[in-house]
Amino acid sequence: MSDSNPQEKSRPLSSDPMPRPHLPSLPKRPWYERLNALNMTLLIFLLAVVFSGFFVSGSGRSVNVIENLSRFAQDFFPPDWSVLDRTAAALLETVVIAILATFFAIVVSLVLAVGAAQNLAPSWVVISIRMGLNMIRTVPSLIWAVIAVVAVGANAVAGVIALTFYSIGYLGKFFSESFESMNMDVARSLRGIGADPLQAFQYGIWPHARPMIWSHSIWMLEYNIRSASIIGYVGAGGLGLQLHAYQEYGQYDRFATVLICILVVVTSLDFLSEWIRRRIKRRTDRNLSH
Amino acid sequence: MDSIDKIAYQADENVVISARGLGFRRGERWIFRGLDLTVRKGEFIALVGPSGAGKTTLLSCLCGLLQPQEGEVWVRPNAVANPQQPRACRRHFGIIFQSLNLISNADLLTNVQCGRLGRYGFLRTLLGFPGNESCEAYQLLADLGVGADPYKWVSEMSGGEQQRVAIARALFQSPALYFADEPVSNLDTYYAGRVLGLLRQQASQLGRSVCCVLHDPSLISRWADRTIALHPDDPSAWRMRDVRPQAKELQGAGL
Repeated sequence: MSDSNPQEKSRPLSSDPMPRPHLPSLPKRPWYERLNALNMTLLIFLLAVVFSGFFVSGSGRSVNVIENLSRFAQDFFPPDWSVLDRTAAALLETVVIAILATFFAIVVSLVLAVGAAQNLAPSWVVISIRMGLNMIRTVPSLIWAVIAVVAVGANAVAGVIALTFYSIGYLGKFFSESFESMNMDVARSLRGIGADPLQAFQYGIWPHARPMIWSHSIWMLEYNIRSASIIGYVGAGGLGLQLHAYQEYGQYDRFATVLICILVVVTSLDFLSEWIRRRIKRRTDRNLSH
Repeated sequence: MDSIDKIAYQADENVVISARGLGFRRGERWIFRGLDLTVRKGEFIALVGPSGAGKTTLLSCLCGLLQPQEGEVWVRPNAVANPQQPRACRRHFGIIFQSLNLISNADLLTNVQCGRLGRYGFLRTLLGFPGNESCEAYQLLADLGVGADPYKWVSEMSGGEQQRVAIARALFQSPALYFADEPVSNLDTYYAGRVLGLLRQQASQLGRSVCCVLHDPSLISRWADRTIALHPDDPSAWRMRDVRPQAKELQGAGL
């Protein structure tokens, strides 16, 4: 067909290079443009590491580390399994405290986090809620437990109250950071076609934030199980009372049993959370395989 | 602003949205300036121009997502509810975004039903959408060839499929005005014609209006009534052109 048109042949073929009178050269980038926030952070952190090294020093005496540790470790073995049933009951209480505290903390933190996210709330709300969260985080879980025991007495309810407050400090921060990392385009476009702010949040931000929220929540649950086994030291229920007693009487073989029980629970929870996270990630990343 | 002119277009029952002396500036650079545009019921207007000419910006100014520095956009109270209440007004604006802005971690049906969020209060949609409408949403998906699995997530769909979901969302909303930013950029010829045909049908049969960024000249001459062309360098060199009569002549000549 194209042979019938003689003019078609006389055109330059695509293999003929077009005459290029001027090719632009790649503009040079000055070195100081590499000093962005990320690189500066790394630089400052490395400097901080070097300087911190000068300030830390031991007692100066010569100590036999290996002997000290092995003497201590011998007391733990073999674990005394006779206290297993008592430990199991306390462990159940520990897990229950952690579950309830995590639940209450999630509910409260979700509300607070919306107010603490710079892209969702006015700045005075953000600043005041963040101040509150910082103050909550400043107080260690053991101190929260002391406060709660003073308020409601030495029982598991005190543990739930203590860990709820402690978790709110962390979850509020994590959740608000999750909301801040969200792309606002979907929510803004839903507003553009008439959705109200709450609807835009529910349908535009929540579906994207949800995997991160659950991930943080599972982490918090795991962390709370570990915390819940400590707060018993001051009487707020759970394993801590046992741990405290065994430590006081030097029964480190029983202490080891309790530690192993905690290890089993925390490890299985870790596997569970990893499995859930992978499931979430696989579904959200599936479009990459196209 | 000529007040007689204002009275004239506000008296015209068919004018749905009207922009007068519209100007938008990014930094020091004017994207467009002194732009007049009147959209009537049943009209299909194509926004044309090379990349970076400001088509998306103009569309955003018209649908109220951007605030122009100059001029004003007037929306007919009767046609598009009360402009004093932005939310009531916006729910009559169906927008198909260039970046689609779908909820990628939600299923197709939810995405399509989000088109009607503006009709309901927060409590009505808190636990899901009115069930009697989901069939309608599904039919729109099926109509556009993405109805195989309405419970799939958007992130599991290809680009062209996602674009059709975004179009289904706008159609489900059934607004008085469609703002479409390159709605067929990822679609094959079949679905490009199908989508533009559906938008054309919305305009011609239901008296709705369409403002649509389009690049393909053959699609423009086939579906649009008028084009507004923006110039990438000269902000005031925009021009309006009627394309429909010409297309009719071509059809009359058997082309």
